[in-house]
Amino acid sequence: MATDVMPVASSETSTRPKPRRTGGGNVFGGLSHVALVIWSILVIYPIVWTFLGAFKTNTELFGDNPLALPQHFGWDAWGRAWAKAHIGLYMVNTIKVVAISTFLTMLFGSMAAYVLARYTFRGNRLIYLLFVSGLSFPVFLALAPLWLTMKNLGLLGTHTGVILVYVAYSLPFTVFFLTAFFKTLPTSVGEAAMMDGCSHTRTFFQIMLPMAKPGLISITIFNVLGQWNQYLLPIVLLPGDAEDKWLITQGIANISTSAGYEADWAGLFAALSMAIIPVLIVYVIFQRQIQSGLTTGALK
Amino acid sequence: MASIVLSNVDKIYAGGVKAVNGLNLEIKDGEFMVLVGPSGCGKSTALRMIAGLEDISGGEISIGDRVVNHLPPKDRDIAMVFQNYALYPHMTVEENLAFGLKLRKMPKSEIQKRVQEAARMLGLEQYLKRKPAALSGGQRQRVAMGRAIVREPQAFLMDEPLSNLDAKLRVSMRASLNQLHERLGVTTVYVTHDQVEAMTLGDRVCVLRDGLLQQVDTPQNLFDSPVNLFVAGFMGSPSMNFAYAELTRDAGGAAVVFAGYKLPVPDSTFAEKPGLDRYIGKKIILGIRPSDFEDSVAANGNAAGWVRIPVRANVTEELGSEINVLFTIDAPPVEHKDTVAAQNDGDEEETTLPLTGDKSLWTARVNARSHVRPGQNIELVVDTHNLHFFDVDSGLSIGHEANIGR
Repeated sequence: MATDVMPVASSETSTRPKPRRTGGGNVFGGLSHVALVIWSILVIYPIVWTFLGAFKTNTELFGDNPLALPQHFGWDAWGRAWAKAHIGLYMVNTIKVVAISTFLTMLFGSMAAYVLARYTFRGNRLIYLLFVSGLSFPVFLALAPLWLTMKNLGLLGTHTGVILVYVAYSLPFTVFFLTAFFKTLPTSVGEAAMMDGCSHTRTFFQIMLPMAKPGLISITIFNVLGQWNQYLLPIVLLPGDAEDKWLITQGIANISTSAGYEADWAGLFAALSMAIIPVLIVYVIFQRQIQSGLTTGALK
Repeated sequence: MASIVLSNVDKIYAGGVKAVNGLNLEIKDGEFMVLVGPSGCGKSTALRMIAGLEDISGGEISIGDRVVNHLPPKDRDIAMVFQNYALYPHMTVEENLAFGLKLRKMPKSEIQKRVQEAARMLGLEQYLKRKPAALSGGQRQRVAMGRAIVREPQAFLMDEPLSNLDAKLRVSMRASLNQLHERLGVTTVYVTHDQVEAMTLGDRVCVLRDGLLQQVDTPQNLFDSPVNLFVAGFMGSPSMNFAYAELTRDAGGAAVVFAGYKLPVPDSTFAEKPGLDRYIGKKIILGIRPSDFEDSVAANGNAAGWVRIPVRANVTEELGSEINVLFTIDAPPVEHKDTVAAQNDGDEEETTLPLTGDKSLWTARVNARSHVRPGQNIELVVDTHNLHFFDVDSGLSIGHEANIGR
């Protein structure tokens, strides 16, 4: 008797909740898809507009349909931006500055974070809090003193000055993030390395850094993006008389401000595209690592 | 290979907590010493002090004939196996094994030789090119062992190396560890909270509690003559049964009386335990190992000198080869601080259900042929030669050679 009833009951329970569950999933899935579509449009529309604009003429740009295709795909605007507005030079400058400052940020940031996360000593907490308090320090507040300091140091209008300031501004978040990350790594691996005969330095560079790779990559990308897009600091630290030292953001802004009435909008868009493309490429290459880096901390 | 000597070793943490308190221990050359105790007894701290991962607050540790108090871990010539394996995740098995040797600037051919040798010994040859993430738990454990073996150190230190493995693997790894020690003969200090592991692996076992050394002896001696209630309750599974009892002597000879039972105490016991006669007429704590019981039916024939007691089986746990019979006796449970500490294995939540009221629940391990069922009245026989007597106040074993004069 019982065996007669059982299959019926089980088939009922197995079939009934299923559509209900997927139904509920559909509502949420649908909503989230709508949200994602809106978000994608918000992000993609300006980018496409920028890229298309780089191929248009000024008249076309002010036409009715911003997403209309240009008459012909010419590279005139790109050439003007590269040669006349020196975007090429500025991009090389920026790559140089960002590469060095990101490297230094990661080197010092990870070393500081490791020590703060792993060693107990007097003042550990204080140093950590000092770093973290840097997070709440707005860039604007320091512009005037920074300018004065750099001038006194003779570093105004030099890339060294910009790099130093970039490193200083990137360290707080880097240290904050990496300290938390190093704390999630098992202590026994470091201890095993010590037993194997590693010095503290070697333990850090050969054992802990490779283990922290996901975290290091995501924070590196974060720093590269932040420093690549930095505008305010270069304007202050690389004034107009050091035009050959300018960074890409300054160069782009200069296109729109220097032309007066007859602005070269297509050139501006071309310059913008040139600034966006390297960042996009970096992001696409490291996309997987960025995601894994952001989630590993949470998983452990 | 070398002996390890700890003399009056203290570990005091910030805040004044004494994790290890005046520990004296001599681990002989080639010996397998197991440190065992409940969580927080200081066994891991002691091991980490030998390793050099923790500072020594007081006392002296020497390995071989060197005092190592101020030597960094790498100069102590020891290798450690960690509970969570602590393999380098970005290196292959081969690189993991070779890492310590490379740091010691050993010639490449020698490294290669040692790695191959260890890999063959541990059955890791086909995994040498894999990374730890692609290995199973048991394989990772073997790599961790291999990393210690290739170093050919003075001593191995092992911090609960088997506790992350599943039960079956743990048993087989235990056997492999035994063989390995047999073969290499390296002095080994092994930390575990599992008393079965301690009994099966150790040449000698050191029982710790709250940072204090309780007893160091061979597993069999620990089992047969525990120094106090704590060791008696901690070693052996199922653990020893305790009851308050009175020691009497009348025309029929000495006897111990508890819960309506009267067990004669043979004269040989008084000879073995000097000072026991002073307790006649006084209250003591009686301890009986579950293995010193037998079902009177199954024990037919060899029960000479054994005493019969009738009990009612509440629960039976059939293990195939034997049956654990749980029964209540009409006496309040012994609540000495030592017995509580021995039962409490660190997990505060792990208290047994209070189903027995104010009666003590005893366990008898009987032969599987007994066919006893829950609720049945059966007659058990007790080997009265193996009774244990403890002082009610101090919890010390009466007549134990270490306790004479204490």
